[in-house]
Amino acid sequence: MAPVAEPFPISHITGRYLLFDIDAISHARREHNICGVLVGTIPNLSQQNVFLGVPLELMPEEARVLIEQGHAYLVDEAEAHQTGFAQMKREDRLAYLQTLDQQGLERAKVIQERKEERSEKVLREKGLVPMKQESSCVAPSETSESTSTPSLGIGISNKESTAELSLFGRPSDPPKPVALPETKLEAQFITPTTSYPPLAPRSVNSSLPLPKVAQNYPLFRYLHSMRYFSMPGLRFGCHYSVYPGDPLRFHSHFLATGIGWDEEFDLLDIVGGGRLGTGVKKAYLIGGEDSDKATQNASGDAPNEESVRAFSIEWAGL
Amino acid sequence: MTQPDDRKQAVLPSPLQTLLLGDLDRNSPKNHLPSLHSLALQVQHNLQYMHSWTDLRIHTHSPITNQPLPRPLLSGLPPLRLYVHPDEQIELLKQADRQRIANKEAGGGSNALVIKPDPEYEWILPTRLSEKWTLRRLADVFGAISMVPPEGDSAMVNNHGQANRWRSTKRIVMATADTDSTIVYYIIHDGVVKPRPN
Repeated sequence: MAPVAEPFPISHITGRYLLFDIDAISHARREHNICGVLVGTIPNLSQQNVFLGVPLELMPEEARVLIEQGHAYLVDEAEAHQTGFAQMKREDRLAYLQTLDQQGLERAKVIQERKEERSEKVLREKGLVPMKQESSCVAPSETSESTSTPSLGIGISNKESTAELSLFGRPSDPPKPVALPETKLEAQFITPTTSYPPLAPRSVNSSLPLPKVAQNYPLFRYLHSMRYFSMPGLRFGCHYSVYPGDPLRFHSHFLATGIGWDEEFDLLDIVGGGRLGTGVKKAYLIGGEDSDKATQNASGDAPNEESVRAFSIEWAGL
Repeated sequence: MTQPDDRKQAVLPSPLQTLLLGDLDRNSPKNHLPSLHSLALQVQHNLQYMHSWTDLRIHTHSPITNQPLPRPLLSGLPPLRLYVHPDEQIELLKQADRQRIANKEAGGGSNALVIKPDPEYEWILPTRLSEKWTLRRLADVFGAISMVPPEGDSAMVNNHGQANRWRSTKRIVMATADTDSTIVYYIIHDGVVKPRPN
């Protein structure tokens, strides 16, 4: 893993927050307890959704936490691409196209070599010697015994073999070299998979507004400040499932739901969440930001964690 | 068709109903709605006779500020310990294991791990299922209660000379009563408290 320079860019594309750099992904997970969800699949095998790869999609809350703490910055990719390519210098563009051509040519060469290998193998199995393009034909006297006779004799009855012999003349006849159809090497067309390069790294000061988050964000920020890992909580009917360490090593401790300070909730939700949580050895956690304290502390630009209250709920067992 | 006066009523009021009516007659609550007061009585009745709790008391004023509570709260002593913090459980298990080994060396004694923490006083918050709650009101309740109910404090000191050091966050048992008089109990902790490994 290469070291990642902070702040690292988060791509904002059609309302999603994405990380494309594998180093940034592992950095965010290792240093900042941000897991996200891998969403990348293979374009021509998009039904395959079990093993997903880059990009990593971040929840808006995750993106916002990273940006607020100065570990990352947001880049509007559509805009960055348009201006980036529009302002590209002619020499740079040509150089880039040339590297693409070069890559295409290399690729074509590899494909060509593979093709030749294959046909050579097939011809060998048939007992024929492929004609090498660069090297001269192998001397017929040397190969005559070794290649032709055994393969001809296999599985053929005596009668047939004599018929064949009459047809082809002497059995020790050297096999005629077979010429492969010669093709001109044409560069393959390459679809580039990265935009950086050719684009220059994005500047930090292209400031976009912070990601829009719902009112459950204070709870997320609070738990993140306590070094908890959060994953989407849909499968437990809550906002986040909260892990005490990396989700690959730990079971989650809490099913967290963020609510507004004066938002009314049904006690049935508490009972249901508490019961479900206890059933799966977790606690149900509700929490939110005390709006009075939050406005009091609004003078300081750093979000204050003391204004957030959380309550853990467990079944009493009565 | 006149009926004799001494004839038994078709449906006698339930013991709970008599309790509620009698109590409301005796001391009409000043700080809280009668409905909240009778709810507290209903929960008290359930805890006392269904779950064998003892020393149940109704609190109308905060032990910290002496201001009226948002609603009447209960405190009481369960027959068994209601909540064991996971870290305390680990220590209790270690203790019990040492005890078991000691028993074995002494010869005889059962081979089972015996964990019997003393019961602790708990706060109880009576609620109705039909109510709506907010975080603000929950925080107000927690702001008004002490770590351990007042009578629990003295009892703890008398028994052990010190309070349970694992009891470091406030907790309250939320009793939720449905209209069919089913009551369910959930523990609410103030803050992020890791769950018990049931």
